[in-house]
Amino acid sequence: MLFVPSRQTVPTYKKLPENVQPRFLEDEGLYIGERLEMAHSHQNIMENRLLTQEPGRRWFGDDGRILAMPNPIKPFPSRPPVLTQEQSIKAELETLYKKAVKYVHSSQHMIGSGDPPGNFQLDIDISGLIFTHHPCFSREHVLAAKLAQLYDQYLARHQRNKAKFLTDKLQALRNAVHTGLNQEKPHQSLDAIKKTIKEYKSEIRQTRKLRDAEQEKDRTLLKTIIKVWKEMKSLREFQRFTNTPLKLVLRKEKVDQKADEDAYEAEIQAEISELLEEHAEEYEWMMEEYRMSYQQWKARKKAQRAKKKKRKPTAEERSDEETEEPCPEEELVKPTPPEPADRAVIEQQVRERAAHSRRRPGEPTLVPELSLAGSLTPNDQCPRVEVLRREDVKRRSVYLKVLFNNKEVSRTVSRQLGADFRVHFGQIFNLQIFNWPESLTLQVYETVGHGSPTLLAEVFLPIPETTIVTGRAPVEEVEFSSNQHVTLDHEGVGSGVPFTFEADGSNQLILMTSGKVSHSVAWAIGENGIPLIPPLSQQNIGFRSALKRADAISSIGTSGLTDMKKLAKWAAESKLDPNDPNNAPLMQLISVATSGESYVPDFFRLEQLQQEFNFVSDEELNRSKRFRLLHLRNQEVPEFRNYKQIPVYDREIMEKVFQDYEKRLQDRNVIETKEHIDTHRAIVAKYLQQVRESVINRFLVAKHHFLLADLVVEEEVPNISSEGSGILGLSLFKLAEQKRPLRPRRKGRKKVTAQNLSDGDIKLLVNIIRAYDIPVRKPTASKFQQPSRSSRTFSEKHAAPLSTNSPTHSADYPLGQVLVRPFVEVSFQRTICHTTTAEGPNPSWNEELELPFRAPNGDYSTASLQSVKDDVFINIFDEVLYDVLEDDRERGSGIHTRIERHWLGCVKIPFSTIYFQARIDGTFKIDIPPVLLGYSKERNMILERGFDSVRSLSEGSYITLFITIEPQLVPGQSVREKMNDMLKKFDSQEDEKLLQATEKFQAECALKFPNRQCLTTVIDISGKTVFITRYLKPLNPPQELLDVYPNNPQATAELVARYVSLIPFLPDSVSFAGICDLWSTSDQFLDLLAGDEEEHAVLLCNYFLSLGKKVWLVMGNAIPEGSTAYVLTWEQTHYLIWNPCSGHFYGQFDTFCPLKSVGCLIGPDNIWLNIQQYDSPLRINFDVTKPKLWKPFFSRSLPYPGLSSVQPEELIYQHTDKAAAAELQDRIEKILKEKIMDWRPRHLTRWNRYCTSTLRHFLPLLERSQGEDVEDDHRAELLKQLGDYRFSGFPLHMPYSEVKPLIDAVYSTGVHNIDVPNVEFALAVYIHPYPKNVLSVWIYVASLIRNR
Amino acid sequence: MAAASPTVFLLMVNGQVESAQFPEYDDLYCKYCFVYGQDWAPTAGLEEGISQITSKSQDVRQALVWNFPIDVTFKSTNPYGWPQIVLSVYGPDVFGNDVVRGYGAVHVPFSPGRHKRTIPMFVPESTSKLQKFTSWFTGRRPEYTDPKVVAQGEGREGNHPEAEIPKAAWVCLCPNQPG
Repeated sequence: MLFVPSRQTVPTYKKLPENVQPRFLEDEGLYIGERLEMAHSHQNIMENRLLTQEPGRRWFGDDGRILAMPNPIKPFPSRPPVLTQEQSIKAELETLYKKAVKYVHSSQHMIGSGDPPGNFQLDIDISGLIFTHHPCFSREHVLAAKLAQLYDQYLARHQRNKAKFLTDKLQALRNAVHTGLNQEKPHQSLDAIKKTIKEYKSEIRQTRKLRDAEQEKDRTLLKTIIKVWKEMKSLREFQRFTNTPLKLVLRKEKVDQKADEDAYEAEIQAEISELLEEHAEEYEWMMEEYRMSYQQWKARKKAQRAKKKKRKPTAEERSDEETEEPCPEEELVKPTPPEPADRAVIEQQVRERAAHSRRRPGEPTLVPELSLAGSLTPNDQCPRVEVLRREDVKRRSVYLKVLFNNKEVSRTVSRQLGADFRVHFGQIFNLQIFNWPESLTLQVYETVGHGSPTLLAEVFLPIPETTIVTGRAPVEEVEFSSNQHVTLDHEGVGSGVPFTFEADGSNQLILMTSGKVSHSVAWAIGENGIPLIPPLSQQNIGFRSALKRADAISSIGTSGLTDMKKLAKWAAESKLDPNDPNNAPLMQLISVATSGESYVPDFFRLEQLQQEFNFVSDEELNRSKRFRLLHLRNQEVPEFRNYKQIPVYDREIMEKVFQDYEKRLQDRNVIETKEHIDTHRAIVAKYLQQVRESVINRFLVAKHHFLLADLVVEEEVPNISSEGSGILGLSLFKLAEQKRPLRPRRKGRKKVTAQNLSDGDIKLLVNIIRAYDIPVRKPTASKFQQPSRSSRTFSEKHAAPLSTNSPTHSADYPLGQVLVRPFVEVSFQRTICHTTTAEGPNPSWNEELELPFRAPNGDYSTASLQSVKDDVFINIFDEVLYDVLEDDRERGSGIHTRIERHWLGCVKIPFSTIYFQARIDGTFKIDIPPVLLGYSKERNMILERGFDSVRSLSEGSYITLFITIEPQLVPGQSVREKMNDMLKKFDSQEDEKLLQATEKFQAECALKFPNRQCLTTVIDISGKTVFITRYLKPLNPPQELLDVYPNNPQATAELVARYVSLIPFLPDSVSFAGICDLWSTSDQFLDLLAGDEEEHAVLLCNYFLSLGKKVWLVMGNAIPEGSTAYVLTWEQTHYLIWNPCSGHFYGQFDTFCPLKSVGCLIGPDNIWLNIQQYDSPLRINFDVTKPKLWKPFFSRSLPYPGLSSVQPEELIYQHTDKAAAAELQDRIEKILKEKIMDWRPRHLTRWNRYCTSTLRHFLPLLERSQGEDVEDDHRAELLKQLGDYRFSGFPLHMPYSEVKPLIDAVYSTGVHNIDVPNVEFALAVYIHPYPKNVLSVWIYVASLIRNR
Repeated sequence: MAAASPTVFLLMVNGQVESAQFPEYDDLYCKYCFVYGQDWAPTAGLEEGISQITSKSQDVRQALVWNFPIDVTFKSTNPYGWPQIVLSVYGPDVFGNDVVRGYGAVHVPFSPGRHKRTIPMFVPESTSKLQKFTSWFTGRRPEYTDPKVVAQGEGREGNHPEAEIPKAAWVCLCPNQPG
């Protein structure tokens, strides 16, 4: 059932119709496709099956094979194009012709762009290298090389065999002459024959000479070869080893003696006869000449004789002629007739010459044969030096670099140098070249051992003719030589160094390394037999045009190529052919350039691509809020300086962000009175603001300038003498120091620059140590003595049994009775800390309080810290306990008390002072209000105790404090120094000499007393340097003040001081961001109504001058201000030191005087530097006339030049508008009342009108008396009117600048903190106007508690 | 709406301080911190860290390997002030004082993906030979007031004699920055 087709091959006849021969279409020339290859067995199976299944033969073709399609498999894989729907098939099929872009070669000498593209190939066959001299050559090698060279020469000569050729030629010529002479040809003229014969003869003569020379050369060459060979042999014998395989064999060729002799003799005879002939000719010619000259001679002789006869008479002439005579006479030598040639002589000569240059007849011909058959002496039989040499040779290897157009294209393999100094390379380099070859160089490199290769020599190969193609090129040898000098320590003779073969050292030779490279260079032949040579014509054109282009660059420079005008000019000058297609791009460029279409600007633009990057127009950019915000922040505009996270989109930026800034810009010229209440001060504030801004802008750059110390912490230069920083000196002593000294000293802390701080890093440390003379409670008045059950004071409870009705019974307090329970509260930036409660009027706390410091806007830069205006308030309170127990019966089981605190006084220290001083340490006077109801200074008691009489002299209470910042901040000194340096560059109207003197004076001061402040020049408000004494000049105080106490100068002085102290204090460092200390004149100061110590001091000084006092400005250090200015006056018997900012004065020996050191005194006409040992005012003498104690600036050597003052002639005071003052008074009162209510958000604030009006009436009294001696009257009055109330309150007094300090002062008293339910408040404000808008503000705050 | 959630973009950085090459020193540890512009704020992760002390590997490479991980996420509104990582390496000197051995900084990579950065390290030099000796002797070498200054441009003006000599030292850092 199963059919299995056979695998047998089916006979052809079965597949074809009967009687049909198979046809092979292919043989008939028709194309049939290639059939798919198939295994025969498969084919057979198929055929068998077809034949069985379908008897018809339609599956078979004419050739008897199965019909088959041509092989459909393409030779290359291809991907059918993906037909996209958008494009029609037609578009897909459309081809786009793109001209091939030729890679433009950088070389100038490239083949022109019009050349047919093609690769050209140069085949370089380097077969080998032979050294004709090498440093490693031994002497034998030298000789061998010489021998080889000579042998080569010999071979070459032998090959050419010139001597033989010339001999043959001679023979031929002779024959020609011979036949010519014997010829009898009538048609040739005799002359012509003669002429040819003559020519022949001369030629014979020439040829003979040449032949003789050649023969001689051959002979000498042979002789030299033999000589060298002999030398070599002797050398080999002498050195007992053989280096070279060279061997010379001289083969003797036997000659037929007879024939040879005959030929020799014949030759000689021929030569002799020729010579004779020649001589005969010569003789004839010479005889002819002789005859001619003889005739001439005779004729001349005759003529001379005639002349002599003529010239005899005059002696003079004769003498003349005698000088001339000898010349002609010499000429008149009688010509001698030539001698005929002697045959014997000639024969002799010829034979001699022949013997010299020619082989003797019968002598065998010597044929030298050089062979390399000799054997070398093996190494072990050689001497050491030779072995060394051979080893050296072995270590050397050579390779060649092939350089094409000075670029290395390939190199041969490195081959070892053979003992015969031959290197075989046998390498062929096929250079596929693109550029027309300019040079073809081989560089020979030699490597010794593993060293770096050294360039021995360069071999320049000629570029082959275009006809020379591969296979036809002969192997050529090119010689090279190197000029290197090599000396070797073995048998090698070296190179470039003299050596000799002789034992005596004579006959020195200097040989240079040289050799031959055998190579062949040819053009390759392409596949189709076409040589791959760049066409000659195009080479030339390309070359020429390239040269022209190169010329363009060289003639106008590469930069000139961008300058179209220059290029056009060059084109015109060099007469470029505009029709030359090679110049087309250039001409086009020029035509475009000169027609003005492309405009060449005559300016240079730095960012010429800026336009490309402008993605929006400028207007759009300016409209962008985000951009504006970024821009403002970058400019460090205060409002935006620390703006964080500027939103991404404009829509996220609120309009109100800019509101403040825009408002400020608008308000710059509009004076706004809302905040300042008083118009004058508003103007001043504005003015100050503007000055500040201008100063800040001026130094904005400098702020970003960091000194090394700002960035790098580095130990100071060690210095043995200086304290603290002396690393080497003191630290060595420190090793011996006690670990825990009995008297410990404070150690300096590490300073921190302010730039890298953040919130919470800085803390203010306040150490409250003790206080003296705190006011004590007064026993309450009689009215209070009726004790109500509910509210007896805690102290009263104990005191009650002893107390009487008299209010002055304070002395009756028992010892140990609590007079006052003070505690200290420190408030700074609205943070409050307080100590524990101590007891008694002289409490000791010794507590450290820590307050965090926050810089404005989180900006901890130095400038920002310097402008912090916050004050540290140190308030002293009395803690009063009230028993509020309702029922006495519960007293046994519980305590129910209420704590009240009563403000006693405060000390206010500006933060800037702490910042600049780094630490504040000392005893300060507590600012106690003039009236402190319920308290009194127990002066009598202190006197009773009497332990310190000095203290009793001063009134008031004192507190000892230590304040510092942790970590210690560098107080921006660097910035200040930089500023000062910059400010010095500002112009000054001072004399240059004076300025130099001031610098010298200050330098001296700094050298001797580095801690003493010495001031000679200051900077005025416009930034100019001004000599300091110009500020001092008598100026009139307001007439009003003088009129008050017309007969009491001391009182007037105090009043004036008070007036000055009422002008608000504003440190320069705050107003000018710590940049510099500007001094304003007194009228500017009064206009600004703000200034720091210097301005106050100067004004006070000027007033005192006008009052006729002897007065000086004191520059020194005080607490808490630090370096400051005070005023010193001489009052007949004693000196007084005035604090211009507080108006207080102190005696020179007052221990509580805040002035702690004196640096210099400044008078209206001189400056005195303190050169005493001490600088404390207590210990120095203020007598400036003593030059040993005070060094004057102006002395006899530099007299006072009479400097004019910068101050005005007179100060003009306007009366302050009383109505405005009254209005201000009302407004302040209203603001403060609102504030107090704001501070008590959880309690009801009631105002006691009655009390307020009482207080209001009282305040002017206080002003008049300056807060003295009114307390008792006032108390009595209050008692009378407010008998039902427990009253605590006090008046505050301060100069008026702004409302904010007033609010702060009221806040700091803590009056509002009372939370007794039925408390009432009273607040009164009084403003006393002084001339020139100086306002003295009194605020009376009180709290009242009704006694039930 | 816009005010409620201002648009920001986030930059997540994680990676590690891999190793360092300090041929002269051993037993080093490193600190890293980030310096970024005003518009940037860290939202998650650690902004600074201090690594363990590592010793040199005993092989030829002599590498100091920390493999100290970094993982921090910033949010920002502005590419200006792109975060830079500041590395400072410390180690004991001859006397056992802890001194700084190198500072270096590099920007966090701008493109997402895995990056490897090698930072050349340097230290400030003493201003004079004498100070060099005393600082060596006392173990108080010149240091930056804050390592962050190496990422800032200010104060590099040439008018003060600050000599920064790059030592032959590198720290390899491999920040992975997805997104």
